[in-house]
Amino acid sequence: MSTHEQGSPSSAGATATALEPRWQVVVLNDPVNLMSYVVLVFKKVLGFSETEARRHMLEVHEQGRSVVWSGARERAEHYAFALQQWHLTVILESDEAR
Amino acid sequence: MKRVEIRLSLEAVLPLIAVIREAADSLSDDLAAPNSLGDIEPDLREGWREDLVSAQNEAITVLLALFDETFDESGVVGFDADNAEPVLRACAAVRLRLRERFLKALNEEVLESGDLEIESLQEPARKAFMCYLFLATIQELIIQHLDTSILDG
Repeated sequence: MSTHEQGSPSSAGATATALEPRWQVVVLNDPVNLMSYVVLVFKKVLGFSETEARRHMLEVHEQGRSVVWSGARERAEHYAFALQQWHLTVILESDEAR
Repeated sequence: MKRVEIRLSLEAVLPLIAVIREAADSLSDDLAAPNSLGDIEPDLREGWREDLVSAQNEAITVLLALFDETFDESGVVGFDADNAEPVLRACAAVRLRLRERFLKALNEEVLESGDLEIESLQEPARKAFMCYLFLATIQELIIQHLDTSILDG
């Protein structure tokens, strides 16, 4: 499963990032939101291509969840908030918790 | 600017508007999907929730504005780049609320497919399910005709 992280950190930043937990933005299935709606939201909020958006939507639908982004906490919260504005059910998970 | 107008049967839709308004009113200080904030840091949570409720209310205001006095006379609603996104989001919020309040007895397959004999439901679930389908139809129309406006906006 592909995840997306933007930016190109400096080596110092990369070291700091490596010491920090990575956060995953996880979209959970709900029976209410239309498949076409979820695809549109993934394209709008996360910048996914049609193919990528459909793949994640199907993963949510068939497996109950899909990790749509992972990386630093602040940016993960930004994406979680944006997805919640579209009324998708979203949770954040850190790799420390797993 | 691309604009899509649809003429609705007032006889069919007007009874549903009251249900939509009631569900929308119940969301004035409540999130349509309230169970997804547990992972947010506690000191951020309240501000986060307030911002989501505020955005939700703004979108619902745009949705309800479609069904004003002009609609009561003409039966016409119009969608364009200005209202497509908030209407789409508001429809999702109201559909989630209708499910939570009236349609919990329906299994997920029925909610996903909409495949159900309406006559098999008693009120208020019957009217709620009709609203649920009506709002999905609005969403499908917007996605079909105005997705580019939303993605570019």
